[in-house]
Amino acid sequence: MFDSESQKLQNLIDTVNSKTDMTIHEIVETYYQVMNVSSMCAMLKEQADSEPNPLLSKIQETEKMISEKFDSIIHPKILTKISLTIQEMTKNLQSGHSGEKSKEQIESNAKLFEELRQTMSTKEFVEQYETGISHDQ
Amino acid sequence: MISDIAKNLVELKQEFVRVYDGNSQIQELIPKSTSDLFPIEASHLDLLHEFATKNPIYYNSFEKKIGSIDCIVYEGDINKYWLNSIQHGSSKAPFSPTWIMSGYIGAMFAKELGYSEVIDIGSGDGRIAYCAKILDLESYSIEIDDMLVDLQNLLTSTLNFHPYCADAIAFDYSSLNLLRPIFFIGGLAQMGGTFLATGVLDKINSISDLKQNSGWVFAGTLSQKYVPDPKNEAGWGTLIEKNNLKSIHNVSLPAAWTFHESDDVQYIFAESN
Repeated sequence: MFDSESQKLQNLIDTVNSKTDMTIHEIVETYYQVMNVSSMCAMLKEQADSEPNPLLSKIQETEKMISEKFDSIIHPKILTKISLTIQEMTKNLQSGHSGEKSKEQIESNAKLFEELRQTMSTKEFVEQYETGISHDQ
Repeated sequence: MISDIAKNLVELKQEFVRVYDGNSQIQELIPKSTSDLFPIEASHLDLLHEFATKNPIYYNSFEKKIGSIDCIVYEGDINKYWLNSIQHGSSKAPFSPTWIMSGYIGAMFAKELGYSEVIDIGSGDGRIAYCAKILDLESYSIEIDDMLVDLQNLLTSTLNFHPYCADAIAFDYSSLNLLRPIFFIGGLAQMGGTFLATGVLDKINSISDLKQNSGWVFAGTLSQKYVPDPKNEAGWGTLIEKNNLKSIHNVSLPAAWTFHESDDVQYIFAESN
């Protein structure tokens, strides 16, 4: 199970690396998988012998991947991207304040506000991960 | 009688939710005329409708019979006010209004309990203060967000409910010469309300004699989405105990955000022990 979950994480990281834009679903899925595999690593490390063995090597390899690829490169990239997206969405919505609007325009705009709220919630979620990393260090 | 009106409003809301097929961000209703279920003075109903028709958050209205009651449905959008409040970081809780009818019923309870002044804290568009004024209570509306206070000033030509653009926890309440006030605290306990209430309680407690004469109304929720307070009272139990208050009444009433929720807002009325 650890092998398959690590592989799934590896695939997600490779996919994220090759993308410029991620959906909220992809972001949340990636973070959940990172947290899932990190928990598995912590739990299995406690159970594994301290002597070198294939499982311990695999755990160390996975932790290295999370630390060097995800925490150091992908996570900051995602956080920067979300912050810029929020700034951009906010600016666009503010510039659309003026003037009379029809019922249809108001209700269509409301969907953009809802997208902004979802993106802001995702940013909070991503920032919570960052808080977790800083506590682990 | 007031409790019956409150119960009838909750039931009317449930029927409204069932039949409403619009797409607005917020929606609420006000009965068109007095009835057995809503024995409200016609002049008061006119003023409640006037608040909605003059208020720029509502962009559409239409007549609809809901259950046995002829109502006017008001459809609105508060997104730009939400955006403004998060931009300035001034507000502890984003603007999310209670229903106008709920504000009116809350003010009716305040009057029945013997209070003479209503202070609407974190008042949003000032609807609770406005409703209190309809009932001949003196009222004051304290709101930190300037865009919302500008909106309130559009509504004071009908009834002056005294809007103040101020931080409620820094406001000088002694300047109002309050005698028997009741403070409606905007915001759920879990959404910044506790911080706001604590700040205002500290200010009031520092004014001699006012603590014993003051009442408090806290907006709470029983929703399982929020961590419950160990002392209950819809999230306010710990604050009530810590400030030596006692809960004297509670009533469930609809708000904009409870439209899609099974539980409405629990308004907890409290006073000094």
